[in-house]
Amino acid sequence: MTFEISTGDDGIMRLAIRGELDAVSVSELRPELDGLVNKRPRRVEVDLARLRMVDSSGVGALVSLYKRVRAQGGEVVVVGLQDQPLAIFRLLRLDKVMTGGDGVPSPTRQQGSSQN
Amino acid sequence: MIRIELLGSLSHRDVALRAVSASCKLVTSRPFGPVWNDFQMEVVSAFGEAFNNVVQHGYRGNSEGLIQIDVRIAPGRIDIDLSDWGTAFDPKAVPVPDLDGLPENGLGLYIMQSFMDISYRPGQPNILTLSKALRSGREDTELSRKTEGEE
Repeated sequence: MTFEISTGDDGIMRLAIRGELDAVSVSELRPELDGLVNKRPRRVEVDLARLRMVDSSGVGALVSLYKRVRAQGGEVVVVGLQDQPLAIFRLLRLDKVMTGGDGVPSPTRQQGSSQN
Repeated sequence: MIRIELLGSLSHRDVALRAVSASCKLVTSRPFGPVWNDFQMEVVSAFGEAFNNVVQHGYRGNSEGLIQIDVRIAPGRIDIDLSDWGTAFDPKAVPVPDLDGLPENGLGLYIMQSFMDISYRPGQPNILTLSKALRSGREDTELSRKTEGEE
């Protein structure tokens, strides 16, 4: 798993995760998520277009991020879901909650990808 | 039957998942198409959760524990026995997660049970059996016929 965190000119924080987010790799990501939350972002876009696989540990970390940012008054939107991660998000009914409705790649994701 | 024995460590998880993923190709002579892709994705996802469960709960971080994986292949079907010598658990005692509450934990067993049939026999070893049939997909069959026709 690799990831990138960036902040655009629009002030939106973007987190792009690639590869496999699972019980093995999630420990690398959690401290970064803590740091991201501490910056009290008003909006976080999580780009999962290049995420090949996620398990319950990875989902738990993303749900934790979602809850903590929202508790501070911000919002978290997941974009780019496809294949196995999309199936997992649908199964856990997170596709509607965390993607703003459709769970499919959006123009905003493509902007974020070009910056990464 | 395919048998693999490895340590109950997350560092061995990828090896186990790759073996199970490759085993899914043996279930059918045509391992491609949307139905088979879903089959493989669900088997690997469920098995990954089962492996995590043994390492994190069965062995509680004791990476010296052994995990034995027996994969049985039949036409259109896969059965996987995951044996461990750690602490047993009762799948029926694990509450169904309240998905509306956005739980951060307790989702592994739910994913497992949603994607595969499971049975569990506690003992020495504990044996978790994950089973799944490859549903016959009209879409795949039609795709195969079309491909054959083109050839």
